[in-house]
Formats: sequence, C-alpha cells, structure tokens
Amino acid sequence: MKPIFRSPRLILATVAALFATVVIAETSLRYVATPGSKMKIEGTSTIHDWTVEGSIIAGYVEVDSSFPLDPSKETPADLKLTPKVEVSIPVRSLKSGKSTMDSVMHGAMKQEEHPKIEYRLLEMKPRARTAGAPFVFDTTGTLKVAGVTRTNNMEVTMTPMAANKIKWVGSSAIKMTDFGIQPPAPKIALGAIKTGDEVKVSFEWVTAQKAAPATATTN
Amino acid sequence: MNRIDKAPDVNRRAFLKGSSIMMMMGGIAIKAADEKAPAADAPAKKPSSPPVKCGVIGCGPWGRDVVQILGRMPNAPVVAISDLYSVFAKRAAQEAPNAKTYIGYQELLKNPDVEAVIIATPTHTHKEIVAAAIAAGKHIYCEAPLAHTVAEAREIALLSRKNPKIYFQTGLQMRSDPEVINIKNFVEAGAMGRTIRAQSQYNKKQSWRRSSSDSEREKMLNWRLDKQISPGLVGEIGIHSIDQAAWFLRSRPVAVTGFGDVVHWKDGREVPDSIQVVFEFPGGVLASYSAMLGNSFDGSYDMFYGTDAAIMMRDRKSWMFKEVDSPLLGWEVYARKETFHKETGIVLAANATKQASHGDNPLTSALTHDSSSLFYALEAFITNAYMHKSAVEDFEASFDSADTAALAEYLVDINKNKVQHATVEQGYEANLMALKANEAVLQRKRIEFDPNWFTLS
Repeated sequence: MKPIFRSPRLILATVAALFATVVIAETSLRYVATPGSKMKIEGTSTIHDWTVEGSIIAGYVEVDSSFPLDPSKETPADLKLTPKVEVSIPVRSLKSGKSTMDSVMHGAMKQEEHPKIEYRLLEMKPRARTAGAPFVFDTTGTLKVAGVTRTNNMEVTMTPMAANKIKWVGSSAIKMTDFGIQPPAPKIALGAIKTGDEVKVSFEWVTAQKAAPATATTN
Repeated sequence: MNRIDKAPDVNRRAFLKGSSIMMMMGGIAIKAADEKAPAADAPAKKPSSPPVKCGVIGCGPWGRDVVQILGRMPNAPVVAISDLYSVFAKRAAQEAPNAKTYIGYQELLKNPDVEAVIIATPTHTHKEIVAAAIAAGKHIYCEAPLAHTVAEAREIALLSRKNPKIYFQTGLQMRSDPEVINIKNFVEAGAMGRTIRAQSQYNKKQSWRRSSSDSEREKMLNWRLDKQISPGLVGEIGIHSIDQAAWFLRSRPVAVTGFGDVVHWKDGREVPDSIQVVFEFPGGVLASYSAMLGNSFDGSYDMFYGTDAAIMMRDRKSWMFKEVDSPLLGWEVYARKETFHKETGIVLAANATKQASHGDNPLTSALTHDSSSLFYALEAFITNAYMHKSAVEDFEASFDSADTAALAEYLVDINKNKVQHATVEQGYEANLMALKANEAVLQRKRIEFDPNWFTLS
C-alpha cells in the first residue's frame, strides 16, 4: 500500500481542509453564557418601588475576526459588524424576595405559556473610540416578553475580561403594556396598589469563549 | 413529633376540652386528624407553587397523616407510597387512590415519576433511605430526628451537602409554622425583655408500646422501646422543643444533664418512661425539658421566661404573662385575654392586628393560620423543592452543567428566596442536642458540648 501523502490529490485536499479550518477558526468566535451574570428589573408602584432580580442569562454571541476585542487598538467610525446574538432568560428565575409578588409577576408575564424572555440581535454599530476607551455599541434587536415581540434599541458596553470572557452591560426602559402586560394591581388592599407601566431592565451578561469544536481542528 | 399519638392512649382529652385550661394534650402540633377540612364551597386556595410529585416512604400513623395532608394540597400529588407492612400500605392507599403501592422503598425510588420523597420510617432506618434517595435524585423531607446516632445524623448532613442539586428539609415542622415564627419574632423584638429561662413539658398517659399478633412484627413496631436503637423520649419527642429553645435563644448549649428511669411501665423495657433534662446555655440560661408517660396532667407546652414577661405556647396558641413592673407595649390593652388560675394571659396570634383591620373581631377570631404545623412544613417542602428543582433545571439548560461550584453558588442565592424551613444543618444540630440529652439520661450525668461537635466537615 502506498503512503497516503504520495498522492498529490490527497495532499491538496489535506491542505485545503487545513486552510478551511484556519479560516473557520479565524472568522468565527463563539462566546457562550457563563455563570456570573445579573439581571434586574426596577419598577414603581403606588406604595413603593420594587426590584426583581435574576442571575441566569442564557445564550451566545458569535463574532468574526473583524470584531473589536483588543482594548489597546482604536475602533474606526465606519466599522461594519455582523455578530449573531441570541439570549434567553427563564421568567421563573426572576425573583423579588417576596413569594406573593413573584407569583403576581410571573402570572403577569404569562410564565406558563411563555416561560422565557428572548432577545435576538438585528444590528450592532460600534461607536468610534480611541485606544483604551471602553467599547460601546448601539444595538437594535427584537425582545420577546410574554409572547409579544417588539423592537428594542439599547446602548451596550463591552468589557473583555480575563480567561477569554466578555462582559456585556446594558439597560433599557420598556413599557409593560407594549408587551400586552397589564401592570399588576393585586387584589390585596382593595386594589389600592397599582404598578407603574414603565420599568427599567438592566443586565450584566458574562460570556466565555468556547473552544472550537474538536472535529474542525484535527485530522 | 406526634407519631406516637395515634397509639392506644389513656388521656383526659375529653375531660379537659372546654375547661379554662384549654386543650392540653397532643403536643404543639395539631394532629392532622384535628385539621379543619375545607368546606365544599370554599374558594380553592391558590397553590403555593406548581406541583411536585411525591412518594411517601413509611405509612405508619405519622406517614398516613403525611399522605392525608398532601392529599389536601393542590400541588402535591402522591404518586407512590411504600411500607414493609402491606396492611399499612393498603390503608394509606385509601388516602391516595392514584398512588402506586410498594413494599420496599427501593422499588419506590426506581419510579421515575417520583420527584420528592417524604421519609416517615423508624428513625434508625433513615440514613440508609436518605442515601438511596439521594442516589436516585429525589428531593427529601426526612422526619426528625434524622438518625438514632450522632454519627449517622452527621453522615446524612454531609451527604446532603455533597449533593446540592437535591433539596433536603428536616421534619422539624415548627420551623415552618407561621404561628411559631410569629412568636419567635416577637421574642426577638424584645417584648418579653431578656430571655432568662426556657422550660418544656410532655405529659401523657400512654405506654409507648404497640401490639401485633405476629411477634416479629411486634418487635419491629416497638423500636422506640429498644434501647439499642431508640433515641428515647427526649430524642423522639423532646427534639422539637429543644430545637425551638436553641432557635429562640439563638445559641448553642454548653452542657446537658439528664435524669430518668422506668417508673410506671415496668414491662421489661429499658427505655425510661420518665425523664428530665436540663440544658445550660451561655449566660447561665437554663432550658429544661421533662417528659413522662405515666401522668397526663397539664399536657404539653413550651414556656419562655423573660425579664418583663413570660410566654406560654400550647397547641400552636400562645399567651403572654406580663410582670407588673414591665413597660407598657400599648397594643396589649386591646388584645384578647384569657385567665389561667390567677394569671391573665394576653393572646398572641399572628396577624391579630390585620384581622382587626379587616373587620374581624380579634377577641373572638380563631388562629389566622389554622392548619397544623405539619401542613405548613409540607407546604414549605413542596414550594421549596419546586424552586430548587427549577433553579437546577434553568441553570443546567443555560450554562455548562459541569460547573458544579457555580451551581452550588447559585443555589445559595436561591436559598434566600425559600419559605422558612428546617435545613439539614439545623436538623443535625437538633439531633446532636437531643441524642446527647438522651445519653445524659441513660448515664445519669452531665455532658459538656464540645463546640467541634456542631461543626460539619
């Protein structure tokens, strides 16, 4: 039997495969959700302000090699980015510290039919920055809450961290009624407690770079 | 704690019912049998959480109470029950018609429908069942005491710690009872001054012996009278009062001294039917517990004595007796009062003020929380087990599930949202205190607590 590399066609194919692997590895970096995130919803009511918190933000970010990740390099003004981002948050993981309020909130968000809040990125524009300045992006995406999808615009700050992690921080003011959610007015205290329509949603999302799949780098 | 209450009993319940001394029998937890069944037209109570499917292991009198209470809850379907004694299993099955019936708990644990188990078997069998239930991935409610030896109680606690995905609750049901929690908060707020003494008693005319035509079966049934495996009166019953005293005093005892003997039921038993133990807490605060199976006078109660007032807790109700020189709190002027011999007791009930604001007459209203302690403990178990289960599911679906350290950290955060309950650590500490007290009774001596005994590592 002939040694396999005697065949020019095989050599060519192997080189091509290796090249393709390198291209894939270079063009696509995948960051997946990792523990350490924080999610907060702040609202108002006729009796007191309230806060709901969670620490589970699932999902991933896929960026290509043009994505600005090096803080020491400046970001030009006209950089075009096409990252893919999908995020989901289990509604039941959001807690206020009071079980009665949780059940009112989960009910208002129709948790049983729509157990997750979902976000999908449509567009991401980096703001021009000098070397060493924070990474800030203007994003547009779709936000789905209680089964209703709405477009969302948000400013997001990115911080590269140790161990190939990236932290994304952002906040957005949204109206419950935009998502078909009636601001809760629990029947306790004769319905005297009314919740304000507008809430502030803020998050700190930690993602970690996932090693490229083994099959793409070997053989 | 009232497992034995269903055994043949000679008491004066009927005589005392309606007397000014109130009901005295039956200990602090109201038995399930006494629990108010909801009226047919009563609006359905909103479930405390989505359902968790339960298996009940051990269907003796206590296990049957558990099955009955779960059956009344909208979110605790009993899908399996087991008891080595088929007659018991069949009897319990009447309360849970949709449950699969097993003889051995091993078979029950193999049932994938079972998400959580309630272990209501004899104390010395708990450890083996807990270990198997953890291996099978079931959430666990284990009756107190957790074990008949400190070593086994420690093993249970360590097993539970090593498996953070499993929710574990100890059956110290008073820790979940809103009426008891109310009194605890009241004591902590300083309404009775500084607590200087605690005292509990359990008096009952009852043999603690159970009979069967089958001698082997009879031996099994009477594990409480077998010195080798019985935690004794203080271990089986006193544990709840001892746990409560340490909980209210927010400290651990430094020593315990015990006395006891077989003084009435001289049927060859070696487990004392009359005992007295005294715990020494820091600052010279004494907490005594006495139990006797030969006389039922004055039943069961727990007392806390403070520099301004004393509090009596009995059958989930509580009264405060003020000293003449104590400061005026204000609200007590309007509170309901009851007379006990020469003393006036101010009724302490959770939500008494709220009742008044809703137009109910606080002078005549019953307890706001009128189910049994066991009901509240099981309700907490279902709510917390669901919360725990969904937290683990959400975490594992969102992140790399191999990161157990991060999961454990996340679960610590989740614990802050749980309904009040007795943890495995609290279960271990109560077990340690109660078993050392039993040892002190049997050896008639004073035992000093080594602080290391309380440390789990």
